Amino acid sequence: MSKTKPIIVIAVAIALAASAAVYLSRQSSDEPASAPAPLAVNLGESRFLGNPDAPVTLVEFGDYQCPSCKHYHPMTKELLRRHPDKVKFEFRHFPLVEIHRNAMGAALAAEAAGEQGKFWEMHDLLFQWQEKWSASSNPESEFLAYAAQLGLDSNRFMQVMRSPEVQQRILSDITRGRQASVMGTPTFFVNGQRIEPLPANVDEFIRAMDDQLRAAR
Amino acid sequence: MKLRAAAIAVLSFVGMVDSLYLSLKRGAGPIPCTITGGCNDVLYSAYSELAGIPISWFGLAFYTVALSFAVFAGFGQTRSLAWIFWPAAAAFAISMGLVGIQAFVLRAYCEYCLLSAGLVTAIFLLTPRPRRAQPA
Repeated sequence: MSKTKPIIVIAVAIALAASAAVYLSRQSSDEPASAPAPLAVNLGESRFLGNPDAPVTLVEFGDYQCPSCKHYHPMTKELLRRHPDKVKFEFRHFPLVEIHRNAMGAALAAEAAGEQGKFWEMHDLLFQWQEKWSASSNPESEFLAYAAQLGLDSNRFMQVMRSPEVQQRILSDITRGRQASVMGTPTFFVNGQRIEPLPANVDEFIRAMDDQLRAAR
Repeated sequence: MKLRAAAIAVLSFVGMVDSLYLSLKRGAGPIPCTITGGCNDVLYSAYSELAGIPISWFGLAFYTVALSFAVFAGFGQTRSLAWIFWPAAAAFAISMGLVGIQAFVLRAYCEYCLLSAGLVTAIFLLTPRPRRAQPA
């Protein structure tokens, strides 16, 4: 049997499969945003990092149990490191409770740490140890351990975690997200405009911000 | 036998597109996930890599091998189809393990991974078991 014909067929099949996969992967990231809903300018009280008077406000609707949010966490930090005066970064809770059973608890833990001035420290720890507490059947004990690591008053931390005010704050973030047509996490807004498709790296983030700044001028 | 080889070749081709698509999309941000909703939870989990290499690349290697043997079988080298059996058995076992991880550990499902598990299962069931050499 000649081996030439099967080798040609295999090569053609590989080339076709590669072309199809590349085409599909590009198509889904090039899809234009379907009428992205602008975010209400008045965001209310929020947790933010960076310059409060910065010309660019980057808002993330995130879920601590979402692996993609963990993927973007170092990018937002790098962005702030590169442009500490130009960017104000706000984090809004959008726990996807239907698929992430510990996400709401994590959001509460971040807010409870925030009541003692350690929101961002807890934010970092929650992403750092995401896989551990996500898989835990008793995530509160993990959150308490992080609170202890941050030197928080554990009784107060637990009290605040269970307080209706903190729950309400998270629910109002979710409501704001829904009003802005947030469907998944992370969803980023630059000066109220959704970034779509999501940036692949810090440079794309900066480009998206620059585009918004130019548009605002 | 030719029909079986053609079926395995088609399934492997679909698997190649699926696994290469995942490999290209992974690391480039969230993956569109309209049916199961949990693709990103699965694809960015600790179980999505082996020795730092995304599992989808291993899937791509398996499908490429399966397609190659199936094409050779289609051109008359019928014994080559049986050579897929053990790789397909291993891929089937790994796929079932990964589906179990999605169901019981991550509690999230990735539609592309489920498609791949279905393709691997079909390839495994279609592949003839290699015959033992007959004693002279």
